[in-house]
Amino acid sequence: MKTQSVRTITVLSALLAVAALVDVLPAQQRQPATQMSANIEVSPPVGKDSVKFLVVGDSGTGDRVQNEVAAQMWKARSIFPYEFAIMLGDNMYGSERPQDYARKFEQPFKPMLDANIPFYAALGNHDDPNQRFYKHFNMNGQRFYTFQKKDVRFYVLDSNYMDQDQQKWLDKELQSNAKWKIAYFHHPIYSSGGRHGSEVDLRAIVEPMFIKHGLNVVFAGHEHFYERLKPQKGIHYFTAGGSAKLRAGDILSSSGLTAKGYDAEQSFMVVEIDGDVLRFQTISRRGKRVDSGEIRLGTS
Amino acid sequence: MTKYFSASLAVFAILSVGCERVDTAEPSAAAGSAEQKPSATAPKPAPANESAGKMPAPPPPLTQNADGANAQGAATLEFKKRLDAYVKIHKEADSKVDSLKRTDDPKEISDREKALQQMIMTLRANAKQGEIFAPEYQPYFVQIVKEDFKTRSAADRKALINELPKHMKVDVNTPYPTTIPLATFPPALLRKLPDLPPELEYRLVGRSLILRDVKANLIVDVLRDFVPTIPS
Repeated sequence: MKTQSVRTITVLSALLAVAALVDVLPAQQRQPATQMSANIEVSPPVGKDSVKFLVVGDSGTGDRVQNEVAAQMWKARSIFPYEFAIMLGDNMYGSERPQDYARKFEQPFKPMLDANIPFYAALGNHDDPNQRFYKHFNMNGQRFYTFQKKDVRFYVLDSNYMDQDQQKWLDKELQSNAKWKIAYFHHPIYSSGGRHGSEVDLRAIVEPMFIKHGLNVVFAGHEHFYERLKPQKGIHYFTAGGSAKLRAGDILSSSGLTAKGYDAEQSFMVVEIDGDVLRFQTISRRGKRVDSGEIRLGTS
Repeated sequence: MTKYFSASLAVFAILSVGCERVDTAEPSAAAGSAEQKPSATAPKPAPANESAGKMPAPPPPLTQNADGANAQGAATLEFKKRLDAYVKIHKEADSKVDSLKRTDDPKEISDREKALQQMIMTLRANAKQGEIFAPEYQPYFVQIVKEDFKTRSAADRKALINELPKHMKVDVNTPYPTTIPLATFPPALLRKLPDLPPELEYRLVGRSLILRDVKANLIVDVLRDFVPTIPS
């Protein structure tokens, strides 16, 4: 009798916890059938042939926290089988000796590398530009480059040094007919970060090109937290630079830019692009889903 | 090569307006403490509060030399000539060591970077500060950054300066320390400076403007006291 009561209470508690979680997410952001595997809340992808990727930002510390977050990323893959990863810069903090490549990248992400999941890196302000020659970063010796996955075109920029060559290249490459155009780079051009804030200089140069060529989504790092911004001039912005370092309490609510912010714990994202829909989920270091939602083409 | 030469001339032509009187505006202490606002893109006029005592002399007025080139044009030509000379050395060094190429071995990356670095350092063993940032050209660089700062809000100037690496020893023909971040170069300022060949880039360290060899991670030249000071 006592055992049955305990079970009933446990089940009720679990139901209440799930109900509370669902309640904090706006209706349009709810994901179907959240799965909890080994303490991680991730929904499986919806589309069969969708483009699925992992978003890693500012990860290269080589410390215990990076390893813990990387372990969650790997755990998430058992539910959400991303095919590749994008890196938003600061891939390696401090020295960049061969042993640093091992400690700050190869060891934490070993399961992904063993599973042949390619990483496509952008350069951060802490990165030696010669990282572009490192095979596992798939930069092909270029500081800025582009690649395509099905109907999604990715533009990887070097926001540390936006010279004329890069601007001309970007303006030309953005003319692609891809259904989705996604840019990612290190410095956010919109941000509520108290420490750094928006890179307005960079914004003045790249935003007109983004608008002119119909870019849909931008991912950036640099700020050590997660922020989903209110769409700016029709473009959706995410800052996800908290995959190892954390600047707790740094999101300034006074900016008026934030749609959803999370700076209580480290985090990463998993993203699916399925036809006209992009679905995203943001997972914390402890495996809690802290944000999710979808973006439809042509909406802002 | 003609590309950055032409761009330089265009920049100088624009800058030459008002060249007779050098406006040395600096943000005031009060203005400098403002919080950075994400939406603040509109340039604000700078307060006229001078504190740039350490700046190099203002650029000389526009005069024509015997060849018919004005002072700015002559300085640009000199800068271009010195860049060309450096690129020649870089290429020579590059041809003598294994070149950097795509590899999954990080040791190869650092070994090749160091080899190129050492080779250039050897070939430029007697390199001196100002070898590329020609003295006659330096005032124009300073003028460019001054003009750029005048278009920025106090908060923007402060944010820019706060991002720069500080307390770093900067010397010609020495490696850029890999443990110190490369500060983002302000894109609007970059647009105003003469273009560089792909072997080189501008970077800011403290108040200095450096020329950095990208592949060799080497400080090639330094222009000190380039970034205006902001009173605290």
